[in-house]
Amino acid sequence: MTLGMPSIPLTVLVLIGVGSPVLLLAVLGVASVVNRPLPERWTGPLAASSMALACAALFVALTVYGITSAGTQLLSYGTWSTSHDGGIAIEFLVDRLSLAFAALSTVIAGVVSAFSNRYLHREAGYNRYFVLLALFVVGMLLVALAGNVAVLFIGWELVGLSSALLVAFFHERPAAVANAFRVISVYRISDAALLSAAVLLRHVAGTGSLALLFGGGAASPTALTTTNATIIALLLIVAVACKSALLPFSSWLPRAMEGPTPSSAVYYGSLSIHAGCFLLLRAAPLLEQAPAARLLAGMLGAVTALFAAITTRVQSDVKSSLAYASLTQVGLIVVEIAIGWYTIAFIHLAGHACFRLLQFLSAPNVLHDLHGLEEAMTDHSAADRGMVTVLTSDRARRRLFLIALERGFLDSTLDRVVVEPFNRSARLFARLDEWLCGAVLTSRRPAGVDGADRDE
Amino acid sequence: MNDARLWLAGLVALPGLVILVSFLRVEVEPLRRLAVTSAIAMLLAALIITVSPTLREFSMRTSAFTSMSGGEAVVRVDTLSAALLPFAAGLWLLTVAVTPRASLDRRGLRRTALATLITLASFLTESAVVLLVLSLVSVWTFLSALEDPAHRYQRRVVAVYLGVSTLLFAAGVALLVGPGVRNTARETVAMWCIGIAALMRKGIVPFHAWVPEVFDYGRLGPAILFNAPQVGAYMTLVLIVPRASPDMLRLIALLALGTAVYGAALALIQTSARRACGYLFMSQSALVMAGLDCTSVTALAGGLLVWLSAGLAFAGLARCVLVLEARRGRLDLTTYHGGYERMPVLAISFLAMGLACTGFPGTLGFVGEELLVDGAVDVFPVMGFAVVIASALTGLAVLRMYFSLFCGRPEVRAHPSLRLGLRPREAWTFVALVTALIGLGLLPRPLVDSRFDASEEILRVRQERVSSRLLSTDLRNGIRPQR
Repeated sequence: MTLGMPSIPLTVLVLIGVGSPVLLLAVLGVASVVNRPLPERWTGPLAASSMALACAALFVALTVYGITSAGTQLLSYGTWSTSHDGGIAIEFLVDRLSLAFAALSTVIAGVVSAFSNRYLHREAGYNRYFVLLALFVVGMLLVALAGNVAVLFIGWELVGLSSALLVAFFHERPAAVANAFRVISVYRISDAALLSAAVLLRHVAGTGSLALLFGGGAASPTALTTTNATIIALLLIVAVACKSALLPFSSWLPRAMEGPTPSSAVYYGSLSIHAGCFLLLRAAPLLEQAPAARLLAGMLGAVTALFAAITTRVQSDVKSSLAYASLTQVGLIVVEIAIGWYTIAFIHLAGHACFRLLQFLSAPNVLHDLHGLEEAMTDHSAADRGMVTVLTSDRARRRLFLIALERGFLDSTLDRVVVEPFNRSARLFARLDEWLCGAVLTSRRPAGVDGADRDE
Repeated sequence: MNDARLWLAGLVALPGLVILVSFLRVEVEPLRRLAVTSAIAMLLAALIITVSPTLREFSMRTSAFTSMSGGEAVVRVDTLSAALLPFAAGLWLLTVAVTPRASLDRRGLRRTALATLITLASFLTESAVVLLVLSLVSVWTFLSALEDPAHRYQRRVVAVYLGVSTLLFAAGVALLVGPGVRNTARETVAMWCIGIAALMRKGIVPFHAWVPEVFDYGRLGPAILFNAPQVGAYMTLVLIVPRASPDMLRLIALLALGTAVYGAALALIQTSARRACGYLFMSQSALVMAGLDCTSVTALAGGLLVWLSAGLAFAGLARCVLVLEARRGRLDLTTYHGGYERMPVLAISFLAMGLACTGFPGTLGFVGEELLVDGAVDVFPVMGFAVVIASALTGLAVLRMYFSLFCGRPEVRAHPSLRLGLRPREAWTFVALVTALIGLGLLPRPLVDSRFDASEEILRVRQERVSSRLLSTDLRNGIRPQR
């Protein structure tokens, strides 16, 4: 694959596509910071028109790209941070895949934006919701179109932060806040893994260009040794596993359902959960260079799909059930990517994103109409029960049920293996610090000193 | 008005005026208004010096304390210090504008003005002797803020750590001044003395225990004003970086990186908001130190940028904690305090400043950390990974604090008649700080370019010294330079 000359119409259209949500974010964000939120009658139409403009621009860009068939293009908008070497270049890597995913993102975000306008009518956090939605759309577009590691990382972080803050949208509920913290904890692992891959890429290849990972241009992953390619690919897989809730990081997914339904739809039904798959799809040339990592990705996908398919059957609320159903498909998409069926994987991704969006958005209406439907959702057909009964013994079924009910014991395992040892050792060091002060003075801090006194 | 001396005199006179007036029988509120006005004027004057090429090329040199040919600059404004002047003024403005009325008396206002004056004077000199004198006064000012009996223990902790630091600094300076020191073993010993002094002052592991103690049980306001400008980093930059051996710089950078991860990890598990602030400060200031001790132009520029962004963001974050404490008392992180609806500006500012601390995209910190990683990755790859881990942990610590301090439903609800929201003065100060951090993060080019120029200049000076050292070593070994 070689990089073609960037065409001017494409450059302008992509700029409009990304710039429109950025402008929306700026307007809503500034109003929020100065505590003068725009009234609902302005926010809704503003968000809808911004998404519509972005969507139109990106679809036209996709059409122009299809007509001109210019090959992968690196659209450069200059160096942003400095005129010296080492500045962050604003670059978008444009091809059929990136433009299609960006366009899909704006379509879904537009639908959710229009839906949310009514769904969150007179909600206290209405304005906050749209600020975070705009932040998310900007992040998704940057992930989709990123031409270098810095831009990709910016997008990745924006998606993560907006996701966690939307999980904590009803922030007076302690459970929502605690779950948001869980979600962001896993996302930070994802961010760290992605950034580590970037650091390693820069160290071994001397560049942060994604053309090297994604196979665009003269530079290609073959420029990396197999060991380096494998390590970078493994780090990317960790980042993807955290973002897309693959095993063993799946436990945050049901916790993320605390947010408002439209945000659950756009994040965990359609876009955010597929961001990892998209990244894996983009990095397919790198995976081809690293067969061990590819195999691992495939296995992760398959195990996740199986686990999610079982778990979704015993969930007692519709959103968790849908979330695990999404995860099943995400696992399958990862398997498709690992096998090398890239086109099928993207079609699967796009179709599933739209279908699940519809399911999530219609879930509240269904629940509103039929109280108690949640229970009915878990009452699966007799055919299902029959198949499971045939395949498993009573004891195995009971164990399977317990595992599914406890969501694979992932939360408690994570607590036991990671969180508790971390807390224990950090507390030990904290006590050591206090002891150091006492040892220096050979005395103890007087009791009852609380420090909250007159300060300047 | 092109005389830099006039502008510098004006800068120094403004906090001086506040100190003088504080000795008169003036009410606290008018004195605060004077302090706020002076801080704004100082900020504007400092910004004019920063952007004016003619004003930022000024130096007053003397040979009184050094054997260097041409002497050393006792007072100077150059590319490095030009951006530090508005930084010092901004920290003063933040302090006097948002400190709660009940918490600030005349002595406090005097102390803040004096601390600002010392910081400003420190940033304007490259003389080791002058820096030593200023360091002594600065430590004394900080100790005087802890003189009440309730803080006796913390005062002793600070006195021990900073006392040893100052003694080492004095020993280093004593070894450094005098003829024929350059490129000798005496200079190396002096460097180690000053290096350890700087590490103690900045709270780098293993010399760090005083920092969380003072933040937690001492007085947070003076602790912020003493630590946020990071004079220890300035000492390192002016005295150590040009002279120290690569091995020494690498050791300092490794200690700093360890501290960055250590501070971030411990901030994450704290139950006290103040102590968490202390560890966050340790982590952030260590990142600055790591960048400064990396001999790459890009990493050094990143370090200089993180210095400004983390300093401002951290000071703002800690001030938010103080503002909340004034309304709620001591803040415990094991519970949810709620209050987003009452103080949305404070909540958003807290989050924005916390994210700026962690180098989140869209803030000035992001550009700094990006440059730090980018520049260090070739010469010092471990730095890249350490920055990544520290940044991830710091981000979690900040979000945990945000969730605890502003989310959830408070157990005890205040009576609706109580006005617990922000005062306009506080709100506008926080909004201005957030605007500065995000604005400079979105349009960072002039500031980043100036940091690149400063780091190139610093490394040029270092290169000259290293070349002369190699030359003198060769001469000692009997090798004559080839013509």
